[in-house]
Amino acid sequence: MKEVIGLISANYGTNDMQRLSDERSIASMPFGGRYRLIDFALSNMINSGITAVGLITPYKFRSLLDHIGTGSAWMLDRKKGGLYILPGTTYGMSDKSDRFLLCDMRQNDVYFHRTNAEYVLCTSSNIVCNMDYTPLIEAHTESGADITMVTKIAERNNKYIKKVLVEDGQVTGVKPGVMRGELAFLDSFIIRRELLIQFMEWYSVKEYMDIFDILRKDYKRMDIRTWNYDGYVREIFSVKDYYNTNMELLDMDINGTLFNEQMPIRTKVQDCVPAHVYPQAKVKNSLISSGCLIRGEVENSVLFRGVTIEEGAVVRDSIIMQSSVIKGGAIVKNAVIDRNNLIGSDMVIKGSDEDIYVMLKEQRKAKKMG
Amino acid sequence: MGRRKKCIAMLLAGGQGSRLGALTKDIAKPAVSFGGKYRIIDFSLSNCANSGIDTVGVLTQYRPFELNAYVGDGEAWDFSSVDGGVYILPPYETQTGGKWYKGTADAIYRNLDFLRKFDADYVLILSGDHLYRMNYNDMLKDHMKKKAAATISVMEVPWEEASRFGILSTDEENQVTKFAEKPKKPESNLASMGIYIFTKDILIDKLIEDANDEESSHDFGKNIIPKLLNEGAHINAYRFDGYWKDVGTIESYYETNMQLLRENPEFSMIDEKFPIMSNSNIYPVQYIGNTAILENCIINNGCKIYGRIKNSIIGNGCVVKEGAYIEDSLVLPDTVIEEDVKIVRSIIGERTVIRQGARIGLREGEITVIGNNETIKKGAVKP
Repeated sequence: MKEVIGLISANYGTNDMQRLSDERSIASMPFGGRYRLIDFALSNMINSGITAVGLITPYKFRSLLDHIGTGSAWMLDRKKGGLYILPGTTYGMSDKSDRFLLCDMRQNDVYFHRTNAEYVLCTSSNIVCNMDYTPLIEAHTESGADITMVTKIAERNNKYIKKVLVEDGQVTGVKPGVMRGELAFLDSFIIRRELLIQFMEWYSVKEYMDIFDILRKDYKRMDIRTWNYDGYVREIFSVKDYYNTNMELLDMDINGTLFNEQMPIRTKVQDCVPAHVYPQAKVKNSLISSGCLIRGEVENSVLFRGVTIEEGAVVRDSIIMQSSVIKGGAIVKNAVIDRNNLIGSDMVIKGSDEDIYVMLKEQRKAKKMG
Repeated sequence: MGRRKKCIAMLLAGGQGSRLGALTKDIAKPAVSFGGKYRIIDFSLSNCANSGIDTVGVLTQYRPFELNAYVGDGEAWDFSSVDGGVYILPPYETQTGGKWYKGTADAIYRNLDFLRKFDADYVLILSGDHLYRMNYNDMLKDHMKKKAAATISVMEVPWEEASRFGILSTDEENQVTKFAEKPKKPESNLASMGIYIFTKDILIDKLIEDANDEESSHDFGKNIIPKLLNEGAHINAYRFDGYWKDVGTIESYYETNMQLLRENPEFSMIDEKFPIMSNSNIYPVQYIGNTAILENCIINNGCKIYGRIKNSIIGNGCVVKEGAYIEDSLVLPDTVIEEDVKIVRSIIGERTVIRQGARIGLREGEITVIGNNETIKKGAVKP
């Protein structure tokens, strides 16, 4: 296989996260009880044999870099290759949610020059999937295309995702927003490294734009193809996406396609004691992370590490993030409770399927457990 | 020699732990699973890490594969450092032939290269067999203050059990006046915990003397300590009054595990200031299904639970299928319990499969143990 380096872009945000991503990037949103969204992109890279990965950081990178560290959890603390932190530009702060700003790449062009790899595989950081890129790389190298974009027939409408126009196997354009049944761009593509470097020169005046918007007039002049992915994929742009995708993990078929031994999704290791479900507890259809102490009722929910549910508390259809405490008597339903919150015994928190209740982190600070 | 250190540790991890029977058939005792995610060696390694000791030699001998693989480069306990870290020290061949380690003192003697490599004044010698949380630094401070040749960590044990231990008598200053290995009529109930700190130069001299003594059985308790005492060296007793349990028999192993299920366990894994660290595989989050009924359970990473479980610990990556019933039991990692299996008062080994409808364990009498990597056939009965 030809040598491929990876590029993960995390320098973007959206307006639809109801401030959950104010203090952190979408890439570092906690997910599924113990992960963060970036874990999927990083794990997919290394599971596909890519051992040099550049990460374009968002403006608010503290939580992301805290999570990633040296990259050792993904075996990216290497002599040859490894993890490259590529500072993003301030253009990422606009809420346009462009994933592949040319200026982010130009600002870090050293990364693309100091390698002999023939190809660059780029992906977004808010994508939830367990994707083996090997067949994509094979398809791309065999076809000799300039770019191969990963696509999938959209299962639902999404204004953030690009629609891909294809004629005779060639991409002829992209448009913002995709409707159900149309061909959606999954924000992952592979490109010849030399061509990407040329882009940086050719299009330097439009560097504040997304590569796929810059190419608008040039699609027909280039050999851009699609590679269809038929596995499970979700992209997280809104609280609704976030909530629904977490809840889908309770479907063990979906859970099993995302998390399996052959292609493990890796994450930062934390030493946490096992979960303890006490005699008073009732737990049904839920993910219960290590360090949880459960004495109350939990149903159809995702509990992150170190969550305490006291006796008499009821948690349903909710996501409770790390170290939050739900006191006896409290009721939490259809909610996302960010980390370190204390839900008092008199509190009733009820959202609905359509309108998820969101509590930002440390609104009512939980006392640190001993 | 590298950066100067106060103290380095040597951990005796070569024991078979024969009293653990099926659990140590294919792995050394320090590598036996504990609490569903830990291994017994985690306690000593975490104690070292939490005490600021960054250099540990792990002496292995019996079935070392699992242990070596688990300890790795020690990164899980923050030991991967440029001038310290974990060193696996197996018996080896020399120009005049090779031998197994003959005793605890011989094992250390044969690794004088390790002791000399590091510029440290003191050596901590540990066994990886016990469940306890201890700051070795406090013991080291005591050793330095008393300017002792050796310090032995001791605790009071019930008089009726005293004859199972190495028993020490001390004066008011905690200086050891007498040492008796497993005495029939103990004069004291201060038992050695098998944790020693030696001033390094004295230790090296004594080990060389002992190695040349053909009468010696090359054991710290039987030879090195009594000899030092005879010679009038200052041996200091360091009193420890925390939780300290041997997990060397099936009963004690079972009890120390099961006490974790109590509302206020005597030994809790939860302690942010003094965490017990472990090196576990990657597992997804625990899933508790719609058909699961849990009454006081500890559930580890990667479990998928659909059955009914009461007062039990379920290890990393286990699957408990619908209709299965588990009570008062310990299920070690990566084991599958199929539909309609019934398990009571049992220990089920790692990577084992209990097929549909099997019956394991009895409510009274001995605890049933199923070893690692076994398959119990459909409908089988193992009382």
